[in-house]
Amino acid sequence: MKAYLGIDVGSVTTKLALLDEDDQLIASTYLRTRGDPVDMVKQGLREIKKQTPREVEISGVATTGSGRYLASVLVGADLVKNEITTHAVAAMQHISDVQTIFEIGGQDSKIIVIRDGVVIDFGMNSVCAAGTGSFLEHQAERLNVRIEDFGEHALRSENPARIAGRCTVFAESDMIHKQQLGYPLDDIIYGLCQSLVRNYLNNVALGKEIQPRLVFQGGVAFNKGIIRAFNEAFDSGVYVPPHNELMGAIGAAILVREEIEIKQNHHKSNFKGFGVSDIEFKTSSFICKACPNLCEISQISADSKVLARWGGRCDMWERVSES
Amino acid sequence: MSVGFPHFGNVYIPIKAMTKRLGAPDGEVIIPPPITQRTLDLGVKYSPQEACLPYKLTLGSLIEACELGADTLIQARGTGICRLGYYAKGQEQMLQDLGYNAHFLTLDVSHNKFIGIMRLIQDMNSNLPWREIIPAFFFAIGKLFALDKIEKVVQKVRAVEVEKGTASRIYREAINVVDEATGSKEVKEITKEYIHKLTQVPKDPTAKPLKVGIVGEIYVVIEPFANMDIELELGKLGIEVERTMTLSRWIKYSLFLNYLGVDEWKEVHKLAGPYVDHDIGGDGWESVGEKVLYAREGFDGVIHLAPFTCMPEIVAENIMPSTKEDIPVLTVTCDEQQSKQGMLTRLEAFVDLIGFRRRRREHGRRV
Repeated sequence: MKAYLGIDVGSVTTKLALLDEDDQLIASTYLRTRGDPVDMVKQGLREIKKQTPREVEISGVATTGSGRYLASVLVGADLVKNEITTHAVAAMQHISDVQTIFEIGGQDSKIIVIRDGVVIDFGMNSVCAAGTGSFLEHQAERLNVRIEDFGEHALRSENPARIAGRCTVFAESDMIHKQQLGYPLDDIIYGLCQSLVRNYLNNVALGKEIQPRLVFQGGVAFNKGIIRAFNEAFDSGVYVPPHNELMGAIGAAILVREEIEIKQNHHKSNFKGFGVSDIEFKTSSFICKACPNLCEISQISADSKVLARWGGRCDMWERVSES
Repeated sequence: MSVGFPHFGNVYIPIKAMTKRLGAPDGEVIIPPPITQRTLDLGVKYSPQEACLPYKLTLGSLIEACELGADTLIQARGTGICRLGYYAKGQEQMLQDLGYNAHFLTLDVSHNKFIGIMRLIQDMNSNLPWREIIPAFFFAIGKLFALDKIEKVVQKVRAVEVEKGTASRIYREAINVVDEATGSKEVKEITKEYIHKLTQVPKDPTAKPLKVGIVGEIYVVIEPFANMDIELELGKLGIEVERTMTLSRWIKYSLFLNYLGVDEWKEVHKLAGPYVDHDIGGDGWESVGEKVLYAREGFDGVIHLAPFTCMPEIVAENIMPSTKEDIPVLTVTCDEQQSKQGMLTRLEAFVDLIGFRRRRREHGRRV
């Protein structure tokens, strides 16, 4: 049986999804990147291998997310795709009448506008990380609440505290202020959720035409408090698809399947196999002193052979010798 | 006198050509080092935070010129265009605070530009006769025209070349060769030779590249460092780029044809008319009009380059969605905080978006 693997290496989590030819999920995994994407990809592959029946053959691999280039070098990807497209593709596959996607991940948030099955506009947060998963996580820690319980607290709130949402720093100081005034924990937590949604709608989604059906996906869609805040903001409410956290990886797998099917049998996957999990990869970086740009070049190597380099303003380091 | 100036695209090439032609002694004209991260860091350090990227980059470049001994600096000024009118004053003050006692020669880019430039040249060259200055001037700007002509071909070849980066390498080589050229005839031959070289680059015969028009504020549109080599990156993604704004076009019209009553933006302003019918500062009016133009010409998308905090382009950005000529627009904000990775992700997604649109147009609804 043929199967297609999507790998989504985000800033906070790494997601892998294995789909069969009918885009049904065979295996999946959701791991925290913890600053070590290389190790997480290896571990993710191990997990997928465990869940996958013997007769399954990996016919194509695609990577996405902010670590897509790194992951593609590690595993030998057939396709590298940006996370906006993969999220849109996955949502359109599962929810045929979707017109707007809210996607909130660890470090970035996006809005994707779809009409008649085509992405017509998108937006992405640029300089500010307010309203993303890592911000919420950080605040949960400060409030001494497990992020998993965050939503439950928010649902219990009856008089949410109004927390300034323009910027993370202001939100944080405002939250501390409300704590010091003695607001109940539940109300602070839900207030934070509301401010996050407000911030998202006023920044990322500003000027976008938001039409139902609204789909909310990404890791933050696990948070019931945020869902509640979105539902209060829109009469139509938001729909959270199953596997909301895997949508990027699923979209990547769908795209690589489509691409390989077009090529029919002329294509052999670049996938290096599950053995990748046992290879020692080394990442390192250095400052290129060839000009005053002082670019930080990072490279990845295995068996003292450099596989790829990134980070230069020019292409001086991009070519990796084959020897 | 040692004259320095800020980098702006290939503008250093005609300046260098002219000083050589007029026999200026070594050190009379100082070419600052190419814009690098260091230039930007210097500019950012000594600029108000809310100043725009063109201000910061030109200040950084002027500081680097002063470090090499420049005591006279050239900068643009103007009325009613944008904050550019204050650039020279602000930068002069800053340089004084830093201990460089540089004298500013400013070029009014709002009025009488031809006379302004000629006066500037005469000031710089201690009153050489006009019969020497004028031919040198034409020789010098000829180099800019040549490079812009070559670049127009590069923008097309990049999209379809088999080995990515070939056209850009040829273009870089062309810049150096044109820079070295000593006669107008030589420049013409080089132009021909390099355009021929570009036509010989192996190309993918099946490629039907998507076409994108670049609009926005002139400095970030023309200076590749300011826009993080966006044209190069689009080329890598297989996109053909067209851009109206070039230095040679500016010279052609502002210094010559405008005097004959030819307004190069007349058509564009007319197209912008239903949405904005007057100058909104900077290049904002043109950005709106060009969006309409590219939509009418059947382009697949428009990339709008705007310096962070640039009021004219912010106004333009907000007018653009209301035009009835429908074409996807991606506004890229240029400033020192923008990360290249973030820009690339947006570019890739934008390219997917316009690709889906074209396929739908060609094959009906389902893609």
